[in-house]
Amino acid sequence: MAGSFVPSEMNHDGPHHSPSPEVAIAGHHIAKRFGHVQALSDANVTVRSGQVVALFGDNGAGKSTFLKTLIGMIRPDAGEFIVADRPVSFSTIRDAQNAGVECVHQDLALAPDLSVVDNMFLGNERMQRGFLGKLGVLNRHEMTERTDQALRELSIKLPSLRVQVSALSGGQKQALAVARAAMWGHTAILMDEPTAALGARQSEIVCDLMRAIAERGLGVLVVSHDLPRVLKVADRVTILWRGTTALEAASSDLTIPDIVATMVGSGKDSAA
Amino acid sequence: MSAGVHPKSPALSPQFDPDLRAVTPKTALQRFFSETGTWILILDIALFVAFGFLSQDFVFWSKLNVESLMINGTEALLLALGLAMLLGAGAFDLSVGSNLVLSSVLGALTIKSIAGPADAQGNYAHLGLAIALGVLVCLVTGVIYGIVNGVLVAYFEINSLIATLGTMGVGTGLALVVTGGGDVTVLPTQLQSGFGLASLFFVPYPAILALVAAFVLWAVLRYTRYGVRTLAIGSERTSAERAGIDVKLHLTSLAALAGGLAGLAGFVDIARYGSTAQAGHVQDPLVAITAVVIGGTLIEGGKVSIVGVIWGTALAVILQTGLIIIGAQSFYQLIAVGVVLIIAVGLDSYRVRRTRDR
Repeated sequence: MAGSFVPSEMNHDGPHHSPSPEVAIAGHHIAKRFGHVQALSDANVTVRSGQVVALFGDNGAGKSTFLKTLIGMIRPDAGEFIVADRPVSFSTIRDAQNAGVECVHQDLALAPDLSVVDNMFLGNERMQRGFLGKLGVLNRHEMTERTDQALRELSIKLPSLRVQVSALSGGQKQALAVARAAMWGHTAILMDEPTAALGARQSEIVCDLMRAIAERGLGVLVVSHDLPRVLKVADRVTILWRGTTALEAASSDLTIPDIVATMVGSGKDSAA
Repeated sequence: MSAGVHPKSPALSPQFDPDLRAVTPKTALQRFFSETGTWILILDIALFVAFGFLSQDFVFWSKLNVESLMINGTEALLLALGLAMLLGAGAFDLSVGSNLVLSSVLGALTIKSIAGPADAQGNYAHLGLAIALGVLVCLVTGVIYGIVNGVLVAYFEINSLIATLGTMGVGTGLALVVTGGGDVTVLPTQLQSGFGLASLFFVPYPAILALVAAFVLWAVLRYTRYGVRTLAIGSERTSAERAGIDVKLHLTSLAALAGGLAGLAGFVDIARYGSTAQAGHVQDPLVAITAVVIGGTLIEGGKVSIVGVIWGTALAVILQTGLIIIGAQSFYQLIAVGVVLIIAVGLDSYRVRRTRDR
């Protein structure tokens, strides 16, 4: 597998992939300036395979910008990225996807008028074999089976796979977006505020999903403001403060007051 | 990952449900009656019956009139189909009628110049070649017109209403410039006898062509990647972009498709009348939009009903022809079609509001 990335669809045989790399995804010394604003100056985040890493930070700390640089939506001014133990440079979301890195955006990026199955395969549709496939005819049978399997692996139960996404609840939509990322990503899954729009019970379920994905050997990076809940599932915590990594520690060594203090900058001296 | 349970591993129950709210899919019969197209079909039948009784000697039901209804609907259906595909992706096209006119003019000029003068029996030296090239010119003109629309909308990011309003003016003007203001007349009569006015049983050839086009597009939307991506773009454009779909290229291809259908309608036009009819297509966008929207296609994008387009076109045509046959003055058709359009859009936005508020 060295040299080039196997397209994710060929690598998805269930939860047991080839041996996981040590580092799933990492960004070192990432810097990015927008006009007068230094959004990131020295951001460092490392997500090891099988780990859930929480990325905390106050508003404007650079969390979302950092996430966007990881998936090629924004090109940083400086710094380097590692994916699956190898240095990479993404210029589009597609590049990141080809390397097995998927992102669950805060707006979920679902098409409400399409069915669950069609959403799972949007941009990655499966074709019929032979002549019909050349005409662009979809293999909905295969798509439905694989959607069913992917949801089952994460213990997500939806009323129907044929129903339009607009008919699902907020929690179901979030679960679907996570499942889609988990189906296509085979290295790392990034999540931007996955619990922001959800109630308590649904948030718990999404946190359980993060854990389940990490168990498969993927790295999971979660940007969130939901400290208590995310801290419970995270293995490690990275805190950004004004575009710089202010703290990197095992979640078991941290308390919420520690984290909040670092987020607002008062714990900066002890953390550098 | 090596074996061993992570200390933070959740106790996942195999059946947990992210939400207890049940969403049950509708049965086939419920779907049939919840489709707007179904109600429009019922209205079509009711109007067809009513106009039959109202017409003198039931002439509305005559073979001749049924044929005439179908041929009248053909061009409108071709235009409406292209528009429906565009609306599915959330884009509009006001220029379909002017595209039809420009394509028909260039096609007619091609046929005339290649066919040459007729001999005493009305035969032409290069009739086959002339007609083949005429069809080609109509199609190519339509596609290029569509691509111009698509590039303006997708790449220059001009609102599709405004962009196509602009190209509508340009296209109409160009057609008049090319012809010097008049119509291209006296085309080979074989165009009419062999295609434009010929029928299989009582279905005119052009109508068969339009119905085949409708069937193909129905299958494309339902079964192909192209169809799914079209609806995805109309449903939520940023989601389509994030899924790696080249939205701009896709929109341009849809505009080219709509343009090609308008070009085809242009050929039907000259084949039917044996000349161009530049003044006869001012109402085309109105009729096409009405047909699409009352058939259940959402203006907001994301949902297209091709069957609905067919019934919607039928409604517009039955109204127009029916009013003439029962002796109402022709101006009333305009009013009727306009009113139907507004009612349709009103119902449409009511439906969208209701879904959103749920």
